[in-house]
Amino acid sequence: MPRGSKTIQAWVELMSDDPEAVSALAVARARLPAARDLGQLRRLRLIEVSGPLPGRRQLEELLHRSIQFYNPHKERCTLRMGVADPVPLGGSERVALVFERGGERRAAAERWWRHETGEEVEVREGVAWALRLENGAALEDLALVRGRHHGLLCNPHSQELRLAVGEVPCPWMGAVSEPKRAARKRPKSPKGDA
Amino acid sequence: MSVARVGVVQFPGVNCEAESVRALGRAGLEAEIFRWTRRAAELRDFQAYLLPGGFSYQDRVRAGALAAKDPLVDVLAGEAERGKPVLGICNGAQVLVEAGLVPDSGRVELALARNRMPDRDGYYARWIYVRIEPSGSLFTRGLTPGDVLPLPVAHGEGRFTSATAGRMASLLATGQIPLRYCSAHGEVESGFPVNPNGAEQAAAAVSNARGNVLALMPHPERAQDLGALARCVAGPWDERRAQAIARRDVDARGPGLALFDALSRHLKES
Repeated sequence: MPRGSKTIQAWVELMSDDPEAVSALAVARARLPAARDLGQLRRLRLIEVSGPLPGRRQLEELLHRSIQFYNPHKERCTLRMGVADPVPLGGSERVALVFERGGERRAAAERWWRHETGEEVEVREGVAWALRLENGAALEDLALVRGRHHGLLCNPHSQELRLAVGEVPCPWMGAVSEPKRAARKRPKSPKGDA
Repeated sequence: MSVARVGVVQFPGVNCEAESVRALGRAGLEAEIFRWTRRAAELRDFQAYLLPGGFSYQDRVRAGALAAKDPLVDVLAGEAERGKPVLGICNGAQVLVEAGLVPDSGRVELALARNRMPDRDGYYARWIYVRIEPSGSLFTRGLTPGDVLPLPVAHGEGRFTSATAGRMASLLATGQIPLRYCSAHGEVESGFPVNPNGAEQAAAAVSNARGNVLALMPHPERAQDLGALARCVAGPWDERRAQAIARRDVDARGPGLALFDALSRHLKES
């Protein structure tokens, strides 16, 4: 099993229409001048797992197995092993990542991972808003809250906003750190892993 | 003299409107639930406003974020500018912060961020204590700085914070933090559990500079009956609770009514 600290991304999206995205699109179009040319808005949860990680098949199985990451009955998950892998975005979509400053870590998911694999990893989660803007509308004006009629997706007083220019970075939320290996290792290889 | 009318603004997902109406009524005010489906201009007929707690628009995007864009809030902002009182409780406070009605400028200067608690995450509900601070807020008029009120909190995003360094400290200095989390004895503490969410300056509420708009995280409307106080509440309010229960008067006036009484006094004087 490959070892060493790296970061993968899980892009998770509801299979049905996402109520948050539907509401955000409706309110933005109705109330924000910067959103007049907003053609489409989707919401994905972006989960980053950093640490000594197994290969793709085992990662997919681990992510699929725990509700800490996604619900396979309601959501689809696209695993991205690095920048070379595609993101589940349309060609005309731009993406704004929003996450809680200092609150992006998911302790319960990290505990689950340690319990299942014996490895210490860092799990971070944010929301990736995929927007199709027309007529050169400015993504930052729409995303960053400045007042009642300016911005919606990110309150900069508690949240971080990251905009992808061209290639979507991986990692995007935090730099790869060197997490300690669990003191008590209990490796459990999911069946069928390569 | 006619009784002042207070509009209790209900967005979809708000769930504390009934007890808010009752608390306002006990303070001698006429309260009416104003649902989001009514014409925004009708809001101008009221002399004061209350945004109750709950989960407006299911907290979609961010707590209070969608309601803050509602046309009703534009009317509220205009009426607040004219000096009418506006009280936002819990989710209502989140709406006021997201709308930039507090601390003042019309720009969004603060956030009510996720609670920050050691070894815990998410929603937190408990009785806490707040201390009245010197301020120009009409909602604490008549109360003595240093007075301690036990109130319940119940929220997942209640941490007042600003990305602008020193902003919360400056709000404290200018009297725009009229209530701070404290111990049962009135000592302000920044650590959990006295400060239940990690709010900067232990702020439980933030006011605008004029003092007529207040974003308040604890729920005074849930502390309007002495019999509702939890057994863990200590100090003089515990004694009053015990006496009320002994005389089978559980609906006796509780600590939360102090803020509604202050609003009532203000409206009668103005």
